[in-house]
Amino acid sequence: MADSPQPNSTPADSIRYPVTALDSGRNRVSKKIAYGLAGIGVLIVAGLFIYQALNTSLVYFILPSEHASNPSQYVNRRIRLGGIVEKDSVSFDDEQLLLNFYITDSIDRYAVSHYGTPPELFQENTGVVVEGGFENGVFVSDNLLVKHSEVYEAAPDGTVDLDMLRESLE
Amino acid sequence: MPELSLSLPMLGTASLALAMAVAVYAVAAGIMGAIRHDARLQTSARYAAIAVFMAMTTAVLTMQTALLTDDFSVEYVAQTSRAASPLWVKVVTMWAALEGSILLWAWLASGYTAVVAFASPNNALRNWAIVVLNVVSVFFISVNAFVANPFTLVPNPPMDGPGPNPLLQNHWMMAVHPVLMYLGFVGLTVPFAFAMSALINKRPGSEWMSQTRAWTISGWGFLGIAKIAGGWWSYEVLGWGGYWAWDPVENVSFLPWLTATAFLHSVQVQERRRMLKAWNLLLIILTFALTILGTFIIRSGVVSSVHAFGDGPVGPYFLAFFLLVVLVSFGLLMLRWDQVRDHGELDAIVSREGSFLLGNVLFLAMTFAVLLGTLFPLFVEAVSGDKVTVGAPFFNQVSLPIWLAIFALMGIGPLLPWRKASHQSLVKNLAWMVGIGLVSALIAYVAGVRKVYPLWTVGFAGYNFASIVLLLDAAIRPRMRISGRGFWSVFGQYAVESRRRFGSIIVHFSVIIMALGVAGSGGYRVDEQVRIEIGESVTLDSNYRLEVVDRFMEQTPYRVAGGVLVNVHRGNRQIASLRPKINVFLGQEQQPVPTPDVLYTVWQDIYLSVSGTVSPDQDFVVLRVVQSPLVAWIWVGAVIMLVGTFYCLLPKRRYVPVPARQAVPAS
Repeated sequence: MADSPQPNSTPADSIRYPVTALDSGRNRVSKKIAYGLAGIGVLIVAGLFIYQALNTSLVYFILPSEHASNPSQYVNRRIRLGGIVEKDSVSFDDEQLLLNFYITDSIDRYAVSHYGTPPELFQENTGVVVEGGFENGVFVSDNLLVKHSEVYEAAPDGTVDLDMLRESLE
Repeated sequence: MPELSLSLPMLGTASLALAMAVAVYAVAAGIMGAIRHDARLQTSARYAAIAVFMAMTTAVLTMQTALLTDDFSVEYVAQTSRAASPLWVKVVTMWAALEGSILLWAWLASGYTAVVAFASPNNALRNWAIVVLNVVSVFFISVNAFVANPFTLVPNPPMDGPGPNPLLQNHWMMAVHPVLMYLGFVGLTVPFAFAMSALINKRPGSEWMSQTRAWTISGWGFLGIAKIAGGWWSYEVLGWGGYWAWDPVENVSFLPWLTATAFLHSVQVQERRRMLKAWNLLLIILTFALTILGTFIIRSGVVSSVHAFGDGPVGPYFLAFFLLVVLVSFGLLMLRWDQVRDHGELDAIVSREGSFLLGNVLFLAMTFAVLLGTLFPLFVEAVSGDKVTVGAPFFNQVSLPIWLAIFALMGIGPLLPWRKASHQSLVKNLAWMVGIGLVSALIAYVAGVRKVYPLWTVGFAGYNFASIVLLLDAAIRPRMRISGRGFWSVFGQYAVESRRRFGSIIVHFSVIIMALGVAGSGGYRVDEQVRIEIGESVTLDSNYRLEVVDRFMEQTPYRVAGGVLVNVHRGNRQIASLRPKINVFLGQEQQPVPTPDVLYTVWQDIYLSVSGTVSPDQDFVVLRVVQSPLVAWIWVGAVIMLVGTFYCLLPKRRYVPVPARQAVPAS
């Protein structure tokens, strides 16, 4: 940002700058200690601040059965709920633009209410991930993602491989 | 031409192998030449770098030929191209998937290496810098040659391919954004290489940075513009009416930009005051290492994104290279610690260098916070097995205060003199800046801005604007007094003679414009879903009236689109006709892409995206309507930033006033 041309590296690089009278000995040490303490203070404050911010904005990705086994962990938290759109559970109110369906992992199921039109590829028995939180037992979603590449069908006895389901929804 | 088509995979693979072999030779010859002080070996390494570039150019031309002639015997073409695609899509399909994007990167890396080998002056740093650049070329070419060969032969070629990802072929920005990004990454590799060379040669003065100044500024400029271009692509294509979502992909490419920005400022302290040697080395190492780390995170499939290209095999490869870069460069830095330690000390915090240092610390703090938020899900999963994402609130909470502090420093830093500021001038300048900042914030408040961050941003924008006026005033007024010439004449002379200074003022001005754009669109974006019957209209709260005139269909050989024609009215006047639609690319029918249409205006954008479907048996349409104030300021600011960056790079010239009545005073 110099207005005048700058000399390239000169021996001045290795020249020790003259220390001013004020800057000698004890003064310098105490200055260093002061800077050090200030630095540590700033780091502690920043650490607490970051911890706090992280803690409040973590969004867990879980399946319905994981939520059902420990609902208290997710109270007042934003979560991403993954699962399958239950058969014969879909209804869309095209006046209110409310999409209602049940999301299931074959063990537990929850009612989902999503504001907005169903995405193009949304259909029964497809994997979806909804983002939002529970309000009075209903999962209110503001973001609906269709995981379109796979179609899940429960095994004849009605069970679903949860690990596979989880993996395919991520 | 069956013979020719059959030979394309072979030609491509052979070019890569040749490039690889010559690049390895170039590294070896460079190292041997340095150890033995053999000028002939060093020269040979330089010519080898040019040969590598030529071999890589052949590979790129082979790929282009394969894409343009629809040669589906090349695996990459079979997997990503489509015969019916328009010409430009075929050309840019080269970087629409993993293998091709590495090919582009490797090609640009070898090109930059060749330019450095050919054009940089013969001095103590050149040889090792070329070695480092060649090592980087070897890495990228080897990724292509060993784990992600774009020229793999398909024994039974299909008749046609699926075409590139619809999100990519849906917008011409795909032709621009990736290239700019790589030009940024590769450009910033050059100062890194010279820094390494400086360490190896035990010359950690400022020569490595003054020699690479143009590379640094241009690389930084490309990176910044590439990010904004990516944001604009996101705005125009993704249908949610935003440009930045703190997505991992955005974050990791933001990181090297942050460290590069810090670097751009702190090099001036070293050039001027011979301080911060170790700090500058640290920053340029971080910039390069973060580039590689980012590519690992994006391309390895650790995070899902349009950039991930599936779970590619290149992940471990990039991770290993990242670790190598970190170990070697920090090892070298430790080894040379005695030479890079600063002997000078800050005279005062309230000085140009003090403010730059503080700004640097803030940039680094932001880098750390964004990196932490991006990697945190990986830590959590490793520790507890829980799948989590870190939401945008974290990034906003952490980065907005840091950003405001940087924004505040941006105004005061350039006004402070080196070494130590006099109390009097500081107070006077600050009084003006804070005064104008307060007035701006007050005007915004009266106009209805009540949110905290937008209000602060407007305040600091006024404060920064005052700072620019004061800077120009301080530069021009004394020159006018001495020369006795008029304002414009002196202004012209100042602008031409102090290119970097004036360019930086332009760039800082663009930052003010973009900050206002981000504050307006981030703070006051209105996002709603509106149901409108065909032929009817709906009036929004903002008094715009949207009239859905009719549905329409479009068909081209490679795409089918269905959409609605919407007239936008304000009061009784029709101000625009928008055509939001849904595109379905043939070969990619499973992924229809909403294609928004935007009315760009100075104060407010109207952004329409079809939500759900458009079909003949449905007599209404649901539109996602996003109204973002000031969002256009970001794009305009980006153009100004580009101009300012380019201005810094113009060769220095002496200004000669047209009627040369008197001698031009030395500045």
